[in-house]
Amino acid sequence: MLNLENLTKRYGALTALDGVSLRIETGEFFGLLGPNGAGKSTLMSLIAGLRPADVGTLTLDGVALNSANAAGRLALGLVPQNIALYPELSADQNLRIFGQLYGLRGPLLKERVEEALVAVQLVERRKDQVKNFSGGMQRRLNLAAALLHRPKLLLCDEPTVGVDPQSRNAIFEYLERLNREGLTVIYSTHYMEEATRLCSRIGVIDHGKILATGTLEQLLTRLPFEEEIRFSADEATAPLAAALAALGELATHDGIHRFRPRADYKLSNFYTLTESLGLPARLFTSQRPTLEALFLHLTGRTIRE
Amino acid sequence: MRIILTLLGKDFANLRRNRAAFVLSFIVPMIIIYIVGQVFGLGRSDSGPSGIPLAVVNQSGNAAATKLVAALQAEKSFRVITEFTNPDGTKRPLIEADLRPMIHDRQFSYALVIPADLIAENRFGLHLMVLSDPRNDIESQTVSGLLQKTIFSSAPQLLGQMLQLRAKSYVGAERLDRFNQVIADNAARTFGGDSTEILKKIQQGDFGAMGQGASNAVPGSAQPSGEGLLSKLVKIDSEQVVGKDVKSPTATRIVGGYAVMFLLFALSNASAAFFDERNTGVFQRVLSAPVSRAQLLWSRFIYGVLFGLGQLMALFFAGHLLYGVDVFGHLGNLVLVCCSVAAACTAFGMLLSAITRSPEAARSLATLLVITMSACGGAWFPISFMPHFMQQIAHFTIVYWAIEGFGAVLWAGNSLAQLLPILGVLFGISAAAMALAVWRFNRGNIFG
Repeated sequence: MLNLENLTKRYGALTALDGVSLRIETGEFFGLLGPNGAGKSTLMSLIAGLRPADVGTLTLDGVALNSANAAGRLALGLVPQNIALYPELSADQNLRIFGQLYGLRGPLLKERVEEALVAVQLVERRKDQVKNFSGGMQRRLNLAAALLHRPKLLLCDEPTVGVDPQSRNAIFEYLERLNREGLTVIYSTHYMEEATRLCSRIGVIDHGKILATGTLEQLLTRLPFEEEIRFSADEATAPLAAALAALGELATHDGIHRFRPRADYKLSNFYTLTESLGLPARLFTSQRPTLEALFLHLTGRTIRE
Repeated sequence: MRIILTLLGKDFANLRRNRAAFVLSFIVPMIIIYIVGQVFGLGRSDSGPSGIPLAVVNQSGNAAATKLVAALQAEKSFRVITEFTNPDGTKRPLIEADLRPMIHDRQFSYALVIPADLIAENRFGLHLMVLSDPRNDIESQTVSGLLQKTIFSSAPQLLGQMLQLRAKSYVGAERLDRFNQVIADNAARTFGGDSTEILKKIQQGDFGAMGQGASNAVPGSAQPSGEGLLSKLVKIDSEQVVGKDVKSPTATRIVGGYAVMFLLFALSNASAAFFDERNTGVFQRVLSAPVSRAQLLWSRFIYGVLFGLGQLMALFFAGHLLYGVDVFGHLGNLVLVCCSVAAACTAFGMLLSAITRSPEAARSLATLLVITMSACGGAWFPISFMPHFMQQIAHFTIVYWAIEGFGAVLWAGNSLAQLLPILGVLFGISAAAMALAVWRFNRGNIFG
């Protein structure tokens, strides 16, 4: 339903988006995973019609999305990265204002505001100024303000930055419920765990380019290993590290060796080797491939670098 | 000690990086010092007021009256106007009937009439007339002092002529001529010189040093005895052409200038709030709804105008309650002028946020410009006290036109038709500033 073709956006000499093409189906929970500065927010702002693309097309259900298309905008809800609310006003006033901007009036507006406050558990604080809310409460209201007009597509631009675990969980559950009810969600994040938990499909973005898309399983199959073994990089493990270099991929980061054996290498052989070197099994942890490993594999750097 | 040095270093590093603090701490005070210094003549060879328009109608054919006009023309504080320009561009000498309408039209605020009967045989002393619009109290007092000084320096000769005339009427021309001849001969014998020339000067009333004391007098200084005498001998009739019915002149004069200055500060702060909305993503959220940039900007503009109107009217009502400024007598026109001033100030604030990159930069630039405009525009001092180039700058400031507008309504009680030029300028400023602001907003990064 949302189709992006060859989207390119430049800011002077900087190419923020470089020929991005994506197709996101109705009802998907699509994760946009990339580090800060990868182009996630730019892509979100193009979809939201805040900026025009220099090159490329963007359609929702076959209709071009741009700043002139008011109907297209009614189909979208944007949850900006920051708390995009009026801090001096109450939760109730904020929701009414944003509801009115989307054309809601009278009893319908009242009903939607009520629903939103219930959904984000802020009914009892509805008359309080937003500036007096906790970070988590502000985040929840930030999300609710984007849903009043019941959009078909929700754009969440890193909506849980700085949120306590409890509120984060509440936001996740709310989003998952909305998605189950049919809302399409595009969720940008640099947290692997969020993408892993929430997204039915993930696009990995870096330097303005989509590097890979697919379900979590599909993406992880792109890794040339099925298991990753981690152990400390110290004097005791140095002989092991030297021996492993020929048996797979060995990377060292922050004092940790990560050994990714070749596909034909059996893990039983690894433990035989460690025993022969007198290294106890407790020194080693084995992990299934992760998005972090995928990102490292695709870009040569970790997502938080 | 090392810790103190480290913390000191941190403070100076912060100051170096904080341009807004730098501008507010150093540049703004320097500009104010410069402006005030210029007003008080520091570092200026031409200190004091200059170029105050003064119309002069000389109905007397007397040579000394012509000298008085020449003395006024030589006074750099005045720009003497003696001609009336017809609609077809031709010129003719000003007549007294021209003066009042021209004062009402703000072509000048002061006029001197030297009547045909400046010196009369049947009256002792000189008779002059000054017409004025004392809208600006400081300027008005200064003009009054300068006029007296110039008139008194020419008065001795005029008084001499008057004495000659009176003497002629009492003793007859023949006996007076003989008397003058004796005086001239004695003066020539005693002090040297040509007795014929001395006689001629006596007949013209020129008694030399008689008026010297008055010519050196300055406004506000203790009056020499000669000037005290002259002030009794020179009768200057004053007529206030504009504003004579104003109930509270002093408060009415100053309320407009301060009102617009506070409005500019308020709206400049409001313009900095633009950045808060950008930084928090509120603009993004609003613009992702079916809301255009134009709607967002116009809503801001309308809010600014309504806020400004509210603030200005509140200040004028306070002026009414506290000092008796007549607000209700001109309510309709006052609201119109307030709207035009608020529109210009709002557009100014929006332009500031359009051309700056951060709220700190917007606030510091606003402080700099508001203070400069207030000082140059006449909110603090009469603009005639400033150097010529600053007087020219004044005409490009919102403050100047706002003061003109408020003065036109509250002081002069102008009609709507008379207000149109000022309203046109103020709305013109707002249109130009808004056009620039919208252009910059659409090209800048304020919308995220």
